[in-house]
Amino acid sequence: MATKRRRRAFPRRKVCRFCADSSLKIEYKDPKLLKYFITERGKIIPRRISGNCARHQREITVAVKRARQIALMPYTTSLPH
Amino acid sequence: MRRYETLFIITPDSSDDELKTIFDKFQTVVTTRKGQMLSYEEQGKKKLAYDIKRHGKGYYVLMDYLGPADIVAEVERNLRLDERILSYITVKLADQVDPESLKTQAAELRRTAKTEESAEAAPAAPAGETEREEEAE
Repeated sequence: MATKRRRRAFPRRKVCRFCADSSLKIEYKDPKLLKYFITERGKIIPRRISGNCARHQREITVAVKRARQIALMPYTTSLPH
Repeated sequence: MRRYETLFIITPDSSDDELKTIFDKFQTVVTTRKGQMLSYEEQGKKKLAYDIKRHGKGYYVLMDYLGPADIVAEVERNLRLDERILSYITVKLADQVDPESLKTQAAELRRTAKTEESAEAAPAAPAGETEREEEAE
């Protein structure tokens, strides 16, 4: 390939969903929205993958942690296999 | 005055009477501490992400209130004492609130129930129905 490093082959620019759409509110009471930001194991997806900006990632983190406290989101899940 | 919200979970096998007593209790707790209840929303039965005291489901209630800083300790103490409460979380919504500006909202306080969320858990309650029996009384 022309590029020196292979990992630069797909420079897909991710835009923070919450900056793009200001009507989206990050709340711990909304597990439907928050579940996009955790893995199937229940871990919070890092910013470099989810594409969130620093500010919104921070809000997501707090919201997920709160949701876990009140059993709206799992701390961890046992995988099927 | 500060504005807080508390989300708590009641055991799913609680009867309507028990839900009513819990509502009355927190209503008095908040008012005796010079607070003001703004809303009390029963969100219905939902599946828990993990079991709490061997319950897989829980009855969620969201309570929105105003009060001095020490009101949270009193509300949470009462939540802890009650065996029917599985879990709770309190979040501060605003530091400085003028109670006057929210007076109209508080005046029409009642137990509200969102049936949409519980529709899947309790098929008996049709979604879209806004009023519950207790409210009509």
